[in-house]
Formats: sequence, structure tokens, C-alpha cells
Amino acid sequence: MEQLGAKVVPVIFGSKTLKDAVNAAIKDWIENVKDTHYVLGSVVGPHPFPTMNRDFQSIVGKEIRKQIKEADGKLPDFVIACVGGGSNAMGAFTDFIKEPLVHLIGVEAGGKGKKIGEHAVRFPTGSVGVVEGYKSYFLQNSDGQLQKTHSISAGLDYPGIGPELSFLHDKKRVEFVSIRDQEALEAVKLLSRLEGIIPALESAHAVAHAIKIAPKLSKNKTIVVNLSGRGDKDIFILTKAFKDKKFYEFMKDLVEAGI
Amino acid sequence: MTKLEEKLQQIKSKKRIGLMTHVVIGYPTLEETVSIVKTMAENGVDFIELQIPFSDPLADGPTIMKACEEALQKGIKVKDAFKLAQKLSEQVEIPLLFMAYYNTVFKYGTKKFCDDAKKAGISGLIIPDMPLDEEHEEHFIKYCKEADLKNIRVVSPASTTERLKKNARVADGFVYCTARQGITGAQKELDPQIISFLKNVKKSFKIPIAVGFGISNKERIKQIKPYADIAVVGSAIIDVINRSSEQEIEGNIKQFLIGLKI
Repeated sequence: MEQLGAKVVPVIFGSKTLKDAVNAAIKDWIENVKDTHYVLGSVVGPHPFPTMNRDFQSIVGKEIRKQIKEADGKLPDFVIACVGGGSNAMGAFTDFIKEPLVHLIGVEAGGKGKKIGEHAVRFPTGSVGVVEGYKSYFLQNSDGQLQKTHSISAGLDYPGIGPELSFLHDKKRVEFVSIRDQEALEAVKLLSRLEGIIPALESAHAVAHAIKIAPKLSKNKTIVVNLSGRGDKDIFILTKAFKDKKFYEFMKDLVEAGI
Repeated sequence: MTKLEEKLQQIKSKKRIGLMTHVVIGYPTLEETVSIVKTMAENGVDFIELQIPFSDPLADGPTIMKACEEALQKGIKVKDAFKLAQKLSEQVEIPLLFMAYYNTVFKYGTKKFCDDAKKAGISGLIIPDMPLDEEHEEHFIKYCKEADLKNIRVVSPASTTERLKKNARVADGFVYCTARQGITGAQKELDPQIISFLKNVKKSFKIPIAVGFGISNKERIKQIKPYADIAVVGSAIIDVINRSSEQEIEGNIKQFLIGLKI
């Protein structure tokens, strides 16, 4: 981001996760609304931003349709995407919402356990609330205080979910499942080994679910997994998680040398 | 006439500017909140905003945000806010308002929140993130009205004239004008943009105008007096609390409030 000329401002308050970054972005916008546009990269926040973001992202689904038709001559049976706020999922799903035969699956962060603060699974543990300018499902307590979340992937570590995804959940158009940190890490390993593609930890959740369901399906079924990001950005988390001896030591030395 | 209306009339008849101060419920403790509010009521404050702590207070700066965070860490619940309001409204004469974020209201049940607030002796609600556009779904203004609570609209310099007019149609009690931009540090005069904003508000609203601009001293209050009916002092008081030991809080707040008198 800095190479591309952006000024990157880290969030210094709250749980320092995606939710706090969203709060900070909205606050900055409130204070500077006259000369600032809100371009948060997710389908959350006040209307019309979730729908704008969906429309921009929807190119993903259009490309999926075109490419799969060329490759397979038919629509996919499954489209699987990870869901934090839900921008890549809305991008991949939107073009297929009106295709009843295409099964849409959103994958949430199962984290490291089922206790509060150990995951970011909004369905079924969340409840309806109005936070950050939108009404949707949130992980919150009975007083409406947002709860702590955890995921190995920063992009899924978020207590809310885009309002349209909540709607699609309630309409039973999108199925929601969850994948744990460990399963996502295994998916990173497998995809790297078999395809030479290092998926982002977020996208690895979608990959992990595809790995889970594929053996149960007949051979002629087609699954599209949205690889919404690359794993390069996760190099520090992956180093810590995999602890490959030489590379771990190399990174440790770099950090100790002050890089 | 309600307590709040009486107060507004009293301020008007004396041709003075009213003062609204603010506390975060449970900050630094629930007991302290009680004595802080009493100190305020005894030292010339006209209205008090009791803010119900929320995990994600979108309209607040770092000072109030941190106070909310600490109050929540100490286990403050929404039901404590109602208990506190009940207790305080029996002990102080001035009107008390709840300031909260809409999720707190929504989770409690919008109708029940309004009814219980009224029962606890609250005069009005300041819910900055409850947009007019959702009234047909949420019925917040309707429930306020039914419970005989003032629903205090919040507007900012970013509000268009059309938006101001829309708010003016449903606003009740007084209108709360907020903007963190516009005034900086030692600036002697008010920003002309803020003046034109306040004039614009005056044109659109028939009810009194409350202004919160990060007002922290007497000079600021003097500056806004020609354009406003009520000055709102929020985080400056939390700053006073933060630099006081437990024993000093009331004394320092009293001193601070005396220093605001114009």
C-alpha cells in the first residue's frame, strides 16, 4: 500500500481489529465529510455503501460465469467464498443469486473454539443489531455490546456481516458454514503444494470447505472457490503457525536485527 | 409543561445561555457518577447528558471512547443506567437526558427503552446514530413521543438545509448541533463557517439550539452565546476527572464549572 503511495494509519484503540479500523474510518469520514469519500473495502457501513461495494465487486461473479462457461459449458454447482464483512462473497455471489441451481456457500471464521472471543461465527450465534451505520447480524451480548472475536485471518476477524448477506441468509439463499484456524492452515499447505498458489488466510477458509465437501460429491459437479487474496500478506502469521525451522530462524534474525 | 420545557423557558426569560454537561455512566465508578451529577446540579448546570457506555461509540472522540471502554470493563450494564437515572432523578431537580447509541436502545427494545427511561425520570434521549430515514421501521420518534420523552435531534455542519428542515419537523425540546471541526486551540473568533451553520440551524428550527464544539472554557461559551441557547460541555469534564484523584473529583469539577460562568 505504501509502495502505491498510500498513507497507512494503524488503528490504536479497542481490540485493534477490523471492527476498530471500520470505526476509525467512519469517524474520520464524519469529521471530514466535506472533502472525504468513504471507500471502506467491505459491504458494511451505512447505505448506500454496502450496495456500492457489492456492485464494484460483482465483476468477480461476472468473470466466474464467463470463465466457467468457457471451461465447462455450464454454470457451477457451488460457489464458495469466505465471509468477514463479505465483500468478496457478495462479489462472487451476486451474479448467481438468481440462478437457483447454483449453491452459494459463505465460510465464516471458526477460529480456535466455540467460546466467546474465540471465533467470528455470526450464524447462528449472532443476533440482529444496528452498529457502524447498518442493521445486520452481530456478535453481541444482551446489552448490545459487540463481543470480542478471533480469527487467524485479520479479514474475517469481525463481529458484523454485510446486511445483504444477512438477508440472503434469512432467505436461505446462501448457506453459511465455518472453518477453524487449523483447517485454514492445512488448506494453505495443500493448495501451495498441489497448485503452487499461496492463498490468503481468509480465502484459505473457502478452500478448506471445498476440500471438505468435494469427496462427498459426484465427479461431474463443479465447485468454484473465490481466491480473494494472496498469502504473501500473511507471511508473518504463517511463519509463526508453521514454524518451519530454517525459515523461522531467518525471520527471527530479521526481526531481532530491527527490520 | 415538562421539567425540560420549564428549564428552557427559565433560561430564555433570564436571557442567559444554558449549560448542559455530560457524564459516562459508571466512569470512573457508579458511585462517583452519582456524586459528579449532584455536584453538577448544585453548581449551575441546567441539563445533564447521562451517556450509556457502548462498545463502539462512533460519534465520540478518544476521551469519551476510553471512558466508555473502562466503564464496560468494570461491568456496567444497561440496567445500571436505568437504576442510576431513577436514583438521580429523585435527588436532583434539573432535567436528565440519556445519551446512547441506537444498538443499546434497539437491543433493549425501542418501546420498552423509551417507557423505562420515562419511568426512571429521564426527560429526553440523544441518540446520534438513529437516522430519520429508518423511522418507518424503528418507530423511535413515535415511541419517544408516546412516552413523553424529548427526542433530541443531532445535526452537524455537514447536514444540508434539506436535512435540517427534515429534522426540524420532528425535533423536540432542543436541537443538538455538533462539529469537532471549525474551532482550533487558541482561536479567538468563531469560524465563519460555524457561524453560518448556526444561523442556518436557527432559520430551520423553532426550538432552542444546543451547541457542542469541544467547548472547554468560558471564552468559547461567550463566543457561541449570540448563536446558541445551550452550551454543551462533554469531554472537557472527563479530562477534569482524569487529572483528579478520587478525593479531588467533586472539588475540581466544581472549580471547573465556576470557571465556565459568564
